[in-house]
Amino acid sequence: MTEHDHDAGDQEAVAAVLRAMPLAPVSADFLARVNARIDDAAGWIGLADFRVWTLGLVPAAAVLVVLALLWPSSSTPSAAATAASAQGQVASAQTFTPSSYSDWQQDVTANALLEAALTDTR
Amino acid sequence: MDPDGALVEAAASGSREAFDELVRRHQAAIVTLVRSLTAGRGDVEDLAQEVFVRAWKSLRGFRGDSAFRTWLHRVAINVVRTSQTRHARFLRVFGSVGSGRDEAPTPEPPDADEPVDAALARRQIVERALATLPDDLRLAVTLRDVQGLDYKEIAAALGVPIGTVESRIFRARQKLKPLLAPLMTRGATGHER
Repeated sequence: MTEHDHDAGDQEAVAAVLRAMPLAPVSADFLARVNARIDDAAGWIGLADFRVWTLGLVPAAAVLVVLALLWPSSSTPSAAATAASAQGQVASAQTFTPSSYSDWQQDVTANALLEAALTDTR
Repeated sequence: MDPDGALVEAAASGSREAFDELVRRHQAAIVTLVRSLTAGRGDVEDLAQEVFVRAWKSLRGFRGDSAFRTWLHRVAINVVRTSQTRHARFLRVFGSVGSGRDEAPTPEPPDADEPVDAALARRQIVERALATLPDDLRLAVTLRDVQGLDYKEIAAALGVPIGTVESRIFRARQKLKPLLAPLMTRGATGHER
């Protein structure tokens, strides 16, 4: 018998002893206690677990981040939006009414201002 | 073909009855594994129950890449490691004075006066011998020889190459040999030489 055979025999002998070890006894209420803990985790005690909340909110947070990155008007205005804004300014200048114009006159009287405000039908 | 496949599928769909049956099938193996991994320290059944609670919560994420039994062993290893990390952190903060839990038990045969049956005495000797091993060796040899996982399953469970698994098991058995000598008599183990 070679040394290698001897080692292999010892290895197998130890393995056989370990394989023959009886499994540990389990208490009779093991399953009931597992179920009780699962129920607890699903109930109010589970809701108090901050990890459940934080992990549960990860997908929602990820969606919000993606939306924030992809939403065009929220970050950089597009060329179309800029043009529309400029047109709006021109339009508002063209529809400048006497009442609003009179607001900026230095020499307007109180009566004229009141009259202009009351006659403004916009 | 995973013998637990149908039960796992039903349990993942929410069947508590199916999960109960999975617990019944594997509870003894998991308690034995946890006992071995913790070297009998701490509340073994509490940790084993935590393994099944964690398994229930994660069952939907089980993709069937491995057998359910292998996956469950991986869950058990993670639960025990997390517990040990927490315990070590606790000891670092509050000290270990008076706890006595982190002292490795010495391998000694059960008392002669102790009224134990042969099976219990055998288990005590084996557990005490296993408790003398470093964690990595104890884990590998327990998964192979006590739990019956194959080398590939152990490598997957531990996240190490198969060669490392083989080396650890070889060294573990070498260290165990003198400690298990009383049990290695012809006929006592039932193996053939």
